[in-house]
Amino acid sequence: MCGNSRNWAIKGVRSAIANSCSKLCSALLLGGGILCAILTSTSLQAETIEVLTYEESPFAVKVGKTHHGLLVDMLKEMFSRTSLDYNLRFIPLKRAIITTERTPGYCVLPVARSQEREAHFRWISPVLVSRYGLFSRSNQTIPLTSLSDAKSYKIGSFLGSGIGEYLIDLGYDVELASVSAQNLRKLKRARIDLWAAELVSAQEQMQKQAINFGVPELIFYTSLRAMACNKEIPRDQTLALENALKSMYRDGYMSRLYLEYGVKI
Amino acid sequence: MSDIRQNKLFTLLLLCIVWLSFDAHALFDPKMKAAEYWVTNEFQPSTLTQVEQMQEMSWFVEASKPYFGLQIRVVSERIATHGYEASVLAKAFFEITGIHVVHELTGEDDVINKLSAQIFTQQNLYDAYINDSDLIGTHFRSNAVLPLSDFMKQEGEAVTLPTLDLQDFIGLKFTTGPDGKLYQLPDQQFANLYWYRHDWFNREDFKQRFRLRYGYELGVPQNWQAYEDIAEFFSDDVKEIDGSRVYGHMDYAKTDPSLGWRMSDAWLSMAGVGDKGLPNGLPVDEWGIRVEQCRPVGASVERGGALNGPASVYAVDKFIYWLNRFAPEESIELNFTQAGEWPGKGLIAQQIFWYTAFVADLTKPDLPVMNSDGTPKWRVAPSPVGKYWQDGMKSGYQDTGAWTLLKNTPLERQQAAWLYAQFVVSKTVSLKKTLVGLTPIRLSDIESDVMTQRAPYLGGLVEFYRSRGRDVWTPTGTNVPDYPGLANYWWHYISQIIEGKVTVQKGMDNFAVAVDKRLKLIGARADMKCAPKLNPVSKREVWLNAPGAPKREISASQVGKTLSYEEAINVWK
Repeated sequence: MCGNSRNWAIKGVRSAIANSCSKLCSALLLGGGILCAILTSTSLQAETIEVLTYEESPFAVKVGKTHHGLLVDMLKEMFSRTSLDYNLRFIPLKRAIITTERTPGYCVLPVARSQEREAHFRWISPVLVSRYGLFSRSNQTIPLTSLSDAKSYKIGSFLGSGIGEYLIDLGYDVELASVSAQNLRKLKRARIDLWAAELVSAQEQMQKQAINFGVPELIFYTSLRAMACNKEIPRDQTLALENALKSMYRDGYMSRLYLEYGVKI
Repeated sequence: MSDIRQNKLFTLLLLCIVWLSFDAHALFDPKMKAAEYWVTNEFQPSTLTQVEQMQEMSWFVEASKPYFGLQIRVVSERIATHGYEASVLAKAFFEITGIHVVHELTGEDDVINKLSAQIFTQQNLYDAYINDSDLIGTHFRSNAVLPLSDFMKQEGEAVTLPTLDLQDFIGLKFTTGPDGKLYQLPDQQFANLYWYRHDWFNREDFKQRFRLRYGYELGVPQNWQAYEDIAEFFSDDVKEIDGSRVYGHMDYAKTDPSLGWRMSDAWLSMAGVGDKGLPNGLPVDEWGIRVEQCRPVGASVERGGALNGPASVYAVDKFIYWLNRFAPEESIELNFTQAGEWPGKGLIAQQIFWYTAFVADLTKPDLPVMNSDGTPKWRVAPSPVGKYWQDGMKSGYQDTGAWTLLKNTPLERQQAAWLYAQFVVSKTVSLKKTLVGLTPIRLSDIESDVMTQRAPYLGGLVEFYRSRGRDVWTPTGTNVPDYPGLANYWWHYISQIIEGKVTVQKGMDNFAVAVDKRLKLIGARADMKCAPKLNPVSKREVWLNAPGAPKREISASQVGKTLSYEEAINVWK
């Protein structure tokens, strides 16, 4: 109830501003349309989108007051290709999603775009293309023609991992560690046969732990994640962001960015 | 006489030579050896002889040579048929061709998101998609999907299987655009049919009680009035069988995307919302969208559509009434998945809306709905129709998952993916795949002796697919120009009605206006062929008084009509 009232109040203020702007524009258009166009553009530019994300190395990392990571770089580039400003904040995913759903002017990323969520947000997608692979020990080759060839092996993943749940659902023998990093040690010590991991994260973790399992035996799944924005985000803003994102994929920016993190899209 | 004998000897000799040559070939070529292994040990039964199967495999071995060592990615939804492809057929294809296929399984919504993302980003995320043909209206307008009929004559000619036999596919009309081009190749099909407890319907005591109360025979309902009478009979009159509460109806209505599919999967067509004409009704289809030429011109009655017309209101009204009146109390809180297990519990007498993709699940021997000899106690039959339905209209839904190639996939990868697509639907493989997943696509499989032998164990699935019903139960058609965008509207607007926030009429009015708005937005895209162009708004009476859909209100009730199971199947012979 409280949240609704607050949303309603914000909507009211925004609506009043929009009405005033519209009336002002009409008056100005009578006297000369160019000034109105400049004003509209300035008001668009002045609006800051609050972007929420959460710590997930190496996609979004917060060290003191600085932010870095693949998604942080991507966001910077995407907004630079529009006239929009943004403010990036780190909060836990669940809270970020609720805040964005309830509060105009907010977006959250990266979010899986499910049927259940689809109608509750406006979507800018895909902001993240993740490939998942199965790694074996460096001194062992496990030839995998298809994912089903991994049925007889023990696969390591971690608690809360979407890909771990996917494999469990399909009937695979999955051992869940409390954190992802434990899987490298488990694989090295042969406590698991295969490690299911997202390729960008895997690169980073192998580097951090000075372990090299080489290329995965099989890249078996691709997931797309999106930026979800509050439903009241103006259409021109989503269009601007979509166009910026599209151009980043099409002019090769995204491919270069992924390569910086050691993987191909 | 001696000529005939000589001919026979000659044919036999020829067959021996062919067989020996394949055998010799198989001895030296590891791929042919692999083909022989798979044909002998996995791809049985088949409508082809083993020699013909080996000939088909030999073609794959040759045609795939330029792509040896290539790894391709394909993605499909997660049903048993695709599970078989991903775990068995992809492996066989690799051993026979040397092309490595990663066949991913995920939700159909995710398949659509991925396909859309590849078009948006121009990144080659996948080399082929198995995507529901409900998107045909989106695909043929998008200019992003490769028309397969063109591809097979041009860049794909050398990799098009000579024995593909397109005419053998039962679902081609669902995957063909209004421009006559084939955009998708069917990989699996299942229908949404009427499901009922054949054993209960044949109990003499129930038959007698039903006849006394309703004045006609208990049997397969042919119209919604009979369905309603039977629902009432089991929920209110019979009430208990062997000490357990039983229900005359089952459905689901949780505010959830699956409620949308429950409606958009042709519920309105069963009521008779659209016009005559197959596969979807012309000029108004079962989504209530009117087209002129190939352009959608509106969904609201005010623009010539039927989404908020009397027939649609009747369809939604009946859905809600039956749910509240005859289904288990918890059904309103269930989604598709949760409701799916109910018929297997043995407490449901009939269900008007049931996907045959679950035949395999409902024929598990330990279920209370199975006989000890392995035959089911239930049957599927053509669904009953509502009071606005007339001969010549579509009568329900059929899902057609179909191979879809995108133009922005590099040619070499398109060609390799096309080889895999054809492999998993080839006659060598398709009958075995049909027996595993029970989602038939080829007439030759449906009419095979093997399917005749299996028929008693599949509760009417084979009989349905051997009938004309397979052409009358159809997927979403070409009138819907943006399926991913518009499909979401269904659960959003229908849930508001079910939750009691608006009346059925008001809810459907809101829905129709929203679809019109979306059509207008899509129509603003100058580069789209057959883009929507809305009719001007007129008074409802203008369109309601015109012939066809939208139809004027029919106030009279239907008279209940039932048939025996055999007669019901014969209606569509």
